[in-house]
Amino acid sequence: MSNELIQIETPFQFSEENQRKFDKLIQRYPVKEAAMLPTLHLAQKQAGYISPAVMEHVAELLELPVMKVKDVVTFYPMFFEEPVGKYVIRVCYTLPCALRDCKLVLEHIKEKFNIDVASETDLAKGTTPDGKFTLLKSECLASCDVAPVVMVNDDLYKNLTPEKMEEILDGLE
Amino acid sequence: MVQERRILYEHLDVPDINTFDVFRQYDGYKRFEKTIKEHQPEEICDMVTQSGLKGRGGAGFSTGLKWSFVPRDIEPRYLCCNADESEPGTFSNRYVLEKNPHLLIEGILICCYAMGISTAYVYIRGEFTLGKRMLDAAIEEAYRHGYLGKNILGSGFDLDVYSHPGAGAYICGEETGLIESLEGKRGQPRVKPPFPAVEGLFHKPTVVQNVETLCNLPFLMGQGVEWYTSIGRTYGDTRFDPPQSDPNTGTKLYCISGDVNKPGVYELDLGLTAEELIEVAGGVKGERVKAVIPGGSSAPILTHYELECRLDFTSLTLWKSMLGSGGIIVMNETRNIVDCLLNIMKFYAHESCGQCTPCRWGTPWVRDIVQRIADGEGRQTTIQRPRFGIAEGGRWGDTGEMEEVYEDLDLLESVANNIANVDTMTWNTICVFGIAVSWPAVSYLRKFRPEFEAAIREGKLVTLPVEEATVPPEENYAYQQRIVPRLFEAPA
Repeated sequence: MSNELIQIETPFQFSEENQRKFDKLIQRYPVKEAAMLPTLHLAQKQAGYISPAVMEHVAELLELPVMKVKDVVTFYPMFFEEPVGKYVIRVCYTLPCALRDCKLVLEHIKEKFNIDVASETDLAKGTTPDGKFTLLKSECLASCDVAPVVMVNDDLYKNLTPEKMEEILDGLE
Repeated sequence: MVQERRILYEHLDVPDINTFDVFRQYDGYKRFEKTIKEHQPEEICDMVTQSGLKGRGGAGFSTGLKWSFVPRDIEPRYLCCNADESEPGTFSNRYVLEKNPHLLIEGILICCYAMGISTAYVYIRGEFTLGKRMLDAAIEEAYRHGYLGKNILGSGFDLDVYSHPGAGAYICGEETGLIESLEGKRGQPRVKPPFPAVEGLFHKPTVVQNVETLCNLPFLMGQGVEWYTSIGRTYGDTRFDPPQSDPNTGTKLYCISGDVNKPGVYELDLGLTAEELIEVAGGVKGERVKAVIPGGSSAPILTHYELECRLDFTSLTLWKSMLGSGGIIVMNETRNIVDCLLNIMKFYAHESCGQCTPCRWGTPWVRDIVQRIADGEGRQTTIQRPRFGIAEGGRWGDTGEMEEVYEDLDLLESVANNIANVDTMTWNTICVFGIAVSWPAVSYLRKFRPEFEAAIREGKLVTLPVEEATVPPEENYAYQQRIVPRLFEAPA
């Protein structure tokens, strides 16, 4: 028998405000399951990522098996199953941005923080050790006229160059 | 030069048009009031059919026809507004959501009144955080002013509109994928039939419409069918025009990006040529056009020989391409087509939902082949043509000619065509994602074959001059197979 400690996760609960938001959300749909995506967004905003505890709580709220929640979480790229940085940087890497040298911007960020691009299965390699930034490649962000674009959390930055990117990143605290 | 005709985008840049009061000053909701006063729901459906309005999301399906499939005796019915704009090269819906969300609500109101729908969901891309905030604020204002909710303007018509965020999956832009996602499941498309019009959201009749289609409705109702059908290029001045029985009416929000001087959204009458559009967008950046993607990255590419093609739903189909979502990406002479295809194939390999085997396995396979070619490791073999005869040394043996074969190019075409066959237009997958993958793969390869061959031959990416990189029209399958409708003859 090994003496390894089994870490038990603390259960997740919605904050009061989020619980109110959830109560409002759930009324919009004739089936509880339909509130899945907005609820997961809400939970991720509060917890930072979708841990097993979060999944369990969401499953309980929506009266579903936990597996159904896990099923959805693994399908959508916007949900993280591991901790991510405070700022999630999504560099658009699809054709229109590629035609406008998004590669330079991406390389610049990689060099600046000395990190790789995170993949869906390995978020840690794209996260700075201090847990501040996570770098992701993103599919088309639907702003091709102002390419190249980068999304940092909820904000979109347009017409970027490595210099502009540097300025923006330095401005983030 | 072709002039812009701003209808949907007319007041887009008015400050604070996103607020109810300013929107009211610019005829906001007045077209809905007129509709509800003057027309019965059935009349509206007839008007939409007569107007020839086609769905702007990609398929270009007649909106009126779609509405006619919805059974009127099953309650409740739903409207899903598709604001999951993720086709690479498309960005017109984003501006509507961020700057003029009330216009969309007015469009939803008219659609729901016509179809007797009392619940509408707007499925917004997860990344459109600003758009969602703006729309939510607009919905709240509309409720406050009595344009949403119970008994709207005392007419007895009820409507609730909710926004619903997606979470970054491209496939949720497909109508049944969107419905699955809205129901809280993985966004994997359903087998059709039954079509959503008969059995959609929560297994009830559902109308799925793109943002742009819905935004057309207020103007159509406000100014009438005659006015609407007068918009759009008059056909018959070139021999490539589509038959008049299938009119392409109204304007389209053309999104143009890539190597042009003034990228952006241009609202123009449907049916201008690719050449004209590039001119409107300030001309090509660089020396000349090498290739144009006419309708989002799924659409088959056009070579510089094919720029006389009209950008509307019918014409592009006749040219073996499609208008799709109207996202036009221009590439100039410095671009390498193999590199561009690699980028697009990475996108599709990432976004395949994994439901159907041909697509789940085929998309990464296609990506890997293109990657191999781009890395300079494309496979090439020498084969001997079978011919039996007297060989060297006077004995019987194989005497066929030796030939260099680009094995990987044949493999690429074969794999792509087995996901969905480009020539027969049949797909081995549930949804049209399959054809959205094989269309670019096969068309890039066939139309720019010299560049692919050069990459394999030289062992590295080689960007050839435009003329050399492009297959001449005589060998271009699409150019040769394009359907030229009967010659237009001016009445004597």
